[in-house]
Amino acid sequence: MVSMELWNHCENPYPFVPAEVLDAADSVRASLPNKYCDPQTAARLYDEIWEEYRLCDDIGLNIVTNEHHSGINNLWAASPVITGIVASMTSKVRILTLGTLVTVRPDPVRVATEFATIDVISKGRLDIGFVKSGATEMVSGNANPMHIREREWEAIDLIEKSLTTHDGPFSWEGKFFTHPHVNVWPRPYQSPRPDFWAATSDLPTCAELGRRGFVNTLLFGGYERTRKAYDAYKQARVVAGLPKVGEDRFSYMAFCYVGDTDEEAMRIGQKIPWFLTVSIKSSPQFSKFQPGAVAPEMAPAAWRGGASKRPTDLSVASLIAQGQMFCGNPDTVAKQIKEFRERVGGVGRIIMMTRQGLVTHAQAMNSFNLAAKEVLPQLQDLPAIDDSSIAVAAE
Amino acid sequence: MRIELETLRRGSGRPILVLHGVNPVSPSAPFLDPLSKHGEVIAPSHPGFGASPMPADFETIYDLVNLYQDVIDDLPDNDVTLIGLGFGGWLAAEVAITRPAKLSRLVLADPVGIKIGGREDRDIAHFFNSHPAELTKRAWHDPSKRPPGCYGLGWQAGIDDTMTDAEMVSLARNWDSLCLYSWTPHMYNPRLKPWLRRIAVPTLVLWGESDGIVTPDYGRAYAGLIPGAQFETIPAAGHHPELEQPAAFVDRVVRFIGTGAKS
Repeated sequence: MVSMELWNHCENPYPFVPAEVLDAADSVRASLPNKYCDPQTAARLYDEIWEEYRLCDDIGLNIVTNEHHSGINNLWAASPVITGIVASMTSKVRILTLGTLVTVRPDPVRVATEFATIDVISKGRLDIGFVKSGATEMVSGNANPMHIREREWEAIDLIEKSLTTHDGPFSWEGKFFTHPHVNVWPRPYQSPRPDFWAATSDLPTCAELGRRGFVNTLLFGGYERTRKAYDAYKQARVVAGLPKVGEDRFSYMAFCYVGDTDEEAMRIGQKIPWFLTVSIKSSPQFSKFQPGAVAPEMAPAAWRGGASKRPTDLSVASLIAQGQMFCGNPDTVAKQIKEFRERVGGVGRIIMMTRQGLVTHAQAMNSFNLAAKEVLPQLQDLPAIDDSSIAVAAE
Repeated sequence: MRIELETLRRGSGRPILVLHGVNPVSPSAPFLDPLSKHGEVIAPSHPGFGASPMPADFETIYDLVNLYQDVIDDLPDNDVTLIGLGFGGWLAAEVAITRPAKLSRLVLADPVGIKIGGREDRDIAHFFNSHPAELTKRAWHDPSKRPPGCYGLGWQAGIDDTMTDAEMVSLARNWDSLCLYSWTPHMYNPRLKPWLRRIAVPTLVLWGESDGIVTPDYGRAYAGLIPGAQFETIPAAGHHPELEQPAAFVDRVVRFIGTGAKS
């Protein structure tokens, strides 16, 4: 039997910049001047979301923090600061940082120190997620966008060794990072280390996550891409002779709104795709023309028509149909999640992007209450999914 | 270790080695034929550009500088003129401070590579973070005069339906490689400026009068750091005077080559 988990992912968006400013701007990330971010409004937003997190801690929704910089989509720019606060204000639920952008941080040892500290403060409730990032983050973080996947893996390896070495100091002289004297204090609360996650749908990367046993999470992958990603993970384990893993190794993030009725949920849920319609507008030099953004052989397709993986129909009904949104009354949402789980071959951890776009604090609180009290119980003790075809395919 | 370089050659005689800027020298570049009447123009594509493979262990400008010292050492002639264009001008200056034995003359056209102004002055317009329209405005005196098949800064704004897939793949590859070599510090080496005094060959610094990527004032300061360097501007040209004013560019270079041979 399988019991699923629900996680709350809020990016703390800032949807208060006048539309005419956003329309006139080339990019709403990286280059939008911070005069458009009112600190008093930002302070109110932080307070509201702390309240949402306290509620999540009480009702059993785990919490995801993340990190983006210099834009209207996200006020979690200093992710370790935010995650440390969440660790201190909660006492029961797990906390996933998804994540500090290691590709823009010059010293992974410092990142490991931050993670270890948060793990101790939370008394072992931290999970550590890695995201490759790219685009505007490279600009805001002044990080060379070339070779970031390779740089990310070296950062992950160094962080892992920093968290698991207890008889140091040790020396690291890698391609991207050097540190002659690594000795992280405090060491993490969990042993051997907090669980690692990574967000990707890139199939070779999914395979590597499989070999390493990381949790593989996808963002808005929809049915087909998500299934392929999880299959790549499972096949890589079969090929490597590694044991089968449980559904807790698979995670999926979607837009989510749980309402008292389907009608209410659909109405409020329509405020969420602001994330796609407004908050990711970026200049061509920060997107399709950024070095490394697309492999050169893919450039003609990307530059001619745009090779966006984004859904083109952003109605709630369409997003639900594509498996990119769970939305409705509690029974409807539970049914959608169960169907998604079956169609992708099993997934144990659903990350809900709910307080997004123009969704208000009160609306988010209502959705969280319904998710925890009326959806989550329907996702417990589910029959296992037969994925024996994976082993056959790998052979 | 053998490193393959796609190399364009035109003409014959004493070698004129051209190090390109953001994109390799196009076979249709209008300065090639007139310049090749005065020597053999040799224009390799840097590793990772054009059809030159990117060696697995190439990472920084240091790799290019050492590579081009090898290239100069391997030329059969001992009277080499080195021309560097834009980003290639930075490379050429780096190579010249190592004093290659066969190097006779140096021409830098709108080079980047050094920091002149204060810490809050942007000496070099950002190649990667600027909008293509902004780069086009800054890089060209008159973008409509860009020779067909030749791409300089702001090349993204020139993408249209007539461009072939192969051209796009090549431009993407060039852009990636340029970024690898030059993202940070953006387009300069903080250690180069104090060593420009080591350049020991006659040097001509040419500058497009309308260059808004690196201004003529930056050029004057650059030239002032190279012992005995001449500084000349080319009217009605931006960051790529060899493309916008090929006749004037070649005229200045040829006049310079005719003088100041290595003793």
